[in-house]
Amino acid sequence: MRGQPSIQRHLPETAGVEYEPYEENTQLARYIKDYPRSFTRNPSQPLIQRPLTLSERTGPVELEHRLAIDGEDMSSKEPGGPRAIGQFIAVTGRVMDEDGAPLAGAVIEIWQANSAGKYVHELDRHQAPIDPNFTGLGRIVTGDEGQYKFLSIKPGAYPVTESDWWWRPPHIHFSIFGPSWMNRFVTQIFFPGEPLNEPDLLLNAVHDLEARDRLIFETTPTKVAAVNLLTFRRDFVLRGKRATPALD
Amino acid sequence: MSLPTSPYCTIGPFFPGEFAAGCGDLTAFDGKQARGQHILLAGRVFEEGKRPIINAIVEIWQPDAGGVFRHPLDPRSEDADPGFFGWGRARTDAEGRYSFRTVMPGAYTADDGALRCPHINLMLLAIGLTRRLVTTVFFTDGLNLVDTPESAVDPLLECVADPTRRARMFAIREKVSNGAAALPSYRFDIVTRGEAETPFFLD
Repeated sequence: MRGQPSIQRHLPETAGVEYEPYEENTQLARYIKDYPRSFTRNPSQPLIQRPLTLSERTGPVELEHRLAIDGEDMSSKEPGGPRAIGQFIAVTGRVMDEDGAPLAGAVIEIWQANSAGKYVHELDRHQAPIDPNFTGLGRIVTGDEGQYKFLSIKPGAYPVTESDWWWRPPHIHFSIFGPSWMNRFVTQIFFPGEPLNEPDLLLNAVHDLEARDRLIFETTPTKVAAVNLLTFRRDFVLRGKRATPALD
Repeated sequence: MSLPTSPYCTIGPFFPGEFAAGCGDLTAFDGKQARGQHILLAGRVFEEGKRPIINAIVEIWQPDAGGVFRHPLDPRSEDADPGFFGWGRARTDAEGRYSFRTVMPGAYTADDGALRCPHINLMLLAIGLTRRLVTTVFFTDGLNLVDTPESAVDPLLECVADPTRRARMFAIREKVSNGAAALPSYRFDIVTRGEAETPFFLD
């Protein structure tokens, strides 16, 4: 085994896992009124059914060997440095498959606006200040039970440049690498009780209300956390389940 | 009894450039050079009307030059090239261009005996797409297994019945090699919608 890359740690047990196409009623619609790019970018031809081979059932694992992993604290630029302005928050949750089995060793990428609704990104034209103590990006890995945690500040709302009315409600983006190409996952999670949630075109694109709730953080009792920290929770269920066992 | 999956959502316009930096070169890993023929895989991403899609994220996943995936599900994973990780990411520029330096993937025979032609899995994330788009890139001269798109026998190619559409899943060998890279260059343009639309798989 000399010189072999380590593929034992966090070894995902993916044999026998089945991946069904996403159920449309649990997902955002592909075409969204008043979101013009959804009409110019989604394929006009029907998506083609394919068999799943080894190629689709494998995927990048142990990405921490390929990508830099940050600490759990995004609320300042340097550990112990001055904290970004805004509501100090902790975000926790678990990443699991459709059977509820934890997905350990999954890399999670996080990006968000600062408390003024401004991203550190060259395409962000919003007239809002950049916080010198906040980058708004981080990369972490789930633990043995699929759990994750990071500290940040609550993002602000921001206007969509191309629209004369649409403001994006506060939200945090997540990019998650499950153990297979089939459960590579990207989403954005919203905050409960925000007035801008109701008219948001993306949140409204999930027609099933229970499914829509899965895009919104749950608040957890703040007494379990430090007193200056508001705590939010969101579990993620990535695609993939075991074959139904045969009945005896 | 299974749990409902979390809803996918668009990547939006502000994915950090830092997350793509350095991810376009797959030809070395863990201080070692990847085995096999290094190649340039590059192209442009277009929407309807052949307008370039800027700021899109392209990710790829592929086996090494010997046709082995660096993943425990591959029965040959212990033979995986220690200098090849198999995953990459690129962001499209102001003309919709992306590029990867990678290796020509090897063919392999699956457990069920099916031959997989040399191929690279590709996914696209962009504003306007609430979910990723997925396709597979093939090569007409990969290990000389495939002469033309029509002659290719591969379970995923077989799903695309229309030969005109099937041909759009093949990267085109560029006659003029990129001078700076001096690598065999393959062009794979992605058209998400409209004339010469790329075939995408149900995901």
